[in-house]
Amino acid sequence: MDVSHKPSKGKMIASGIIPFIFLVILTGYIFGPGSELLDLGVPLPEISMELVNFVDSEIQVTVRNTGPIPVEVVMADINDRIQPAAIEPDRFLERYETALVRIPFEWNEAEPYIIGLTIDDGTRFEKEIEAAAPALKPDFELVGLFAVIGTYVGIIPVMIGLLWLPFIRRISKSKYHFFLALTVGLLLFLGIDAIEEALVVSGENLAGSFNGVLLTVTVTVLSFLGLYYAGQKLINNSQLSRLSKPIAIALMIAIGIGLHNFGEGLAIGAAVGLGSIAFSTFLIVGFALHNTTEGIAIAGPLSKDKTSTRSLIGKLIGLGLIAGSPAIFGAWIGGFSYSPFSSVVFLAIGAGAIFQVIVVIFRMIREEGDKNLSSASVVSGISIGMLVMYLTSILV
Amino acid sequence: MTKSRSSVMIMAISVFFVISITYFVFAGDISAQSEEKSFVTHTGGVIMTSGEVLDPLYTSATMDFDPMEYLRTFDYGEVSTLPDGTTLREYTIVAEDDKMMEVSPGVFYNVWTYNGSVPGPTIRATEGDIIRINFINDGSKEHTIHFHGIHPSEMDGVFEPVGRNGGQFTYEFEAGPVGVHPYHCHIMPLEEHIVHGLYGVFIVDPKEGRASADEMVMVLNGFDTDFDTENNFYAANTIPFYYQHHPIQINAEELIRIYVVNMVEFDPINNFHLHGNLYKYYPTGTDIVPSFYTDMITLSQTERGIMEFEYQYPGNYLFHAHKVEFSEKGWIGIFQVHENKEQKIEEVEYGR
Repeated sequence: MDVSHKPSKGKMIASGIIPFIFLVILTGYIFGPGSELLDLGVPLPEISMELVNFVDSEIQVTVRNTGPIPVEVVMADINDRIQPAAIEPDRFLERYETALVRIPFEWNEAEPYIIGLTIDDGTRFEKEIEAAAPALKPDFELVGLFAVIGTYVGIIPVMIGLLWLPFIRRISKSKYHFFLALTVGLLLFLGIDAIEEALVVSGENLAGSFNGVLLTVTVTVLSFLGLYYAGQKLINNSQLSRLSKPIAIALMIAIGIGLHNFGEGLAIGAAVGLGSIAFSTFLIVGFALHNTTEGIAIAGPLSKDKTSTRSLIGKLIGLGLIAGSPAIFGAWIGGFSYSPFSSVVFLAIGAGAIFQVIVVIFRMIREEGDKNLSSASVVSGISIGMLVMYLTSILV
Repeated sequence: MTKSRSSVMIMAISVFFVISITYFVFAGDISAQSEEKSFVTHTGGVIMTSGEVLDPLYTSATMDFDPMEYLRTFDYGEVSTLPDGTTLREYTIVAEDDKMMEVSPGVFYNVWTYNGSVPGPTIRATEGDIIRINFINDGSKEHTIHFHGIHPSEMDGVFEPVGRNGGQFTYEFEAGPVGVHPYHCHIMPLEEHIVHGLYGVFIVDPKEGRASADEMVMVLNGFDTDFDTENNFYAANTIPFYYQHHPIQINAEELIRIYVVNMVEFDPINNFHLHGNLYKYYPTGTDIVPSFYTDMITLSQTERGIMEFEYQYPGNYLFHAHKVEFSEKGWIGIFQVHENKEQKIEEVEYGR
C-alpha cells in the first residue's frame, strides 16, 4: 500500500500535546478556582518520627510531616512527661519537610522510651523505642568493624560457594540443570525475603503517605526492568567484548546478589545500631551460612564456560567481590545513617535484581532444551533450593 | 536510531528516579544554620540551639485567659435586697462552645465556656442569700448549669436542657450549704461537656464569715487535646506550668486560704501537695473545724475543700500534684513568699 497521506510533523506534535494541555487545565482548575468543589472532609495532620538517636544527655528525633497539610510541632515529651526541647531549623513543617527535635534528657541505656510530639491542634504522636542505645559514631574502629562483618557475611561465604564450581563442571547435563534450578530456588526465596523485609520496614517505620507497599512494588519492577534491559545488552554484546555468554550471565547474577547483600548489610548495620548485639550475632552467622548458597548460584552458569578453571580464577574473585562487598557498604549505611525510606528502596532494588536473574536462568535452561521447565531435575532443584534457604533462614 | 532514543528515555527515567529518591532520603540533612538560642532544661542545664525552643514552661504565650487574675477574683453578683430583707445576688452567665483557645504555647483547643473563660466565673455568696442566674445559651449545642448544693429539683440543671443559639433559663435558689462547690453543664454526653471547660466554682460563706485571709481559688483541671480519653495537659487554673513561670506572690506570717476544686476527668484521682509547710484542710468547706493537718490530700472527681496555711520563712515553695505525671504535664506552681513587713521574721527565736 502506498502511504501518500503522510501527516506533517507539526500536526503530530500538536496531537501529542493537546491532551496534555487539557490535563494541565484540569489540574489547574482543581487547585485554583475549583478547589472549593473538593472541600470535603477534614484533612488530618500527620507527622512521623523516622529516626531516634540517643546521644550524650540528649535524645534527637528526626520528624517528618507526612500528612496532607502543613503542621507546627509545638511540644515534646518523653514517656508522656512534657520536656523542654529545641527544634531545628524551625517548628513549621510543610508537607514532607523534616526537622530535628533535640530533647535534653538523661536517658538510661537499655531502657524503653516513648517519644511524644504534640502539634498545634493538640494531637500527640508517639514512637516507642524498645531499648535506648548510644548512637553509633562513624569512627575508624566501627568503620573497620563493619567492614570485617561485611566481609565475613558477604565476601567469604560467596567465595566458599564458588569453590563448588569444579564439582558442578564435572556433572552431567541433567544434574547441571538441577544445579541451575537449585539456584533459581535459592534466588526465589531471597527475592521474596527481600520483599517481605521491605514491607515490614515500611509497615513499622514508614509513614502511610509513602504507600510502603506500592513503593516496594514500584521499585522492584523498575529495578527488574532496568537490570533486565541492561543485562540483555550485556549478553548481546558479549560476543563483542571479551566476556563469554556464561560469564555475562554469572555477572548478572553477581550484580543481583550484590544488590541483595547490600540490603542484608543494611539490616545488620541497623541491628548493631539499635544495640541488639546478641540479635546481630545470630544475624551474622545466619547470613554467612545463607550466603554460601549464593556462591553456588553464581557458579551454576559459569560451569558452561569453556575456559579452564585456572584462567577463571581472576574472574571468580571479581564476581565474588561484586556479589559480596556491597554487604560492607550496606552495613556502613545501616549503622551510621539509617533511614526507613532508603532501606525500603534498597531492599526493593535487591528484590527486582533477583527476579531478573531468575528470568535469565530460566531462559538459559530453556535454551538448553528443557522447554517446559518441567523436568524432574528442574522441579526438584527449585524445591530443594527453597527448602535449603528456608532451613538456613531459621538460623537468622 | 530508535535504539539510542529508547536508551535516552531509560537514562532520563533512571536519573529522575535517583534524584527523587535522593531528595526524600537526604532532605532531612539540609538545614540552614542560624543564630544560636539557649534554653534551660528542667534539670537546670543550659542548651544551645540554632532552631526554636519548644517549652511550655519558659516560653510565653499570648493568653486570653489570665490565671493570675482568675486566682483572686470572686463574683458577688448584682446585689439587691428582697422585701423580706434577704440578699439577692443576680448573675448573667452565657455559655458558648466555638472558642479556640491557646491552652499551652502553640496548642489550640476548642474550649466551651461560661462567660468566655475556663473555668467560668467564681460565684460567691453568703449562706441564705438568694442566687438568681440568668443563663443564656449562645452555643451550638444544648447546655445547662448544674450546681452542687441544696436546691429544688427543677433548679438542678439536668432535666431542663437550654436550647442552642440563644435559649434562656433562670436558675434561682437559696445559697447553701456553707462550703466550696463546683457547678458544671449537665448535658449528655456529660464527659464531653465537662472536659471542654463548662465548669466553675461556687463558694458559700458562713453567715459569721471566716478569718480574714489572702484568699484564692484553684480549679485543678486538664485538657485532652487529642480526644484519646487521656489528658495531655494538667493545671491549676487551666494554663499548664503558669504559676511556675509566674509564682504566686504571698506574705509570710499571713493566713492563706485556697478554695480547691478538682475538675480533672479521665484520671480517677488528683492530689495537692504543698512544700515547706502543712495546711489545715476542710473537706468541701462545710465545717469550720479542720479535718486534717497535712501537706497532701487526695481528690476524686469534683471533690473539693478549703486549705488554710501560713508560711514562716520567705522564699520559693512549690505546690503540685504528687501524682508526678500530672505535675510534669503542667499541674505545678510556686508560692513566692515575701517577708512580712509588719511582722518581722527576725523576732522568731529558735532553740528555746
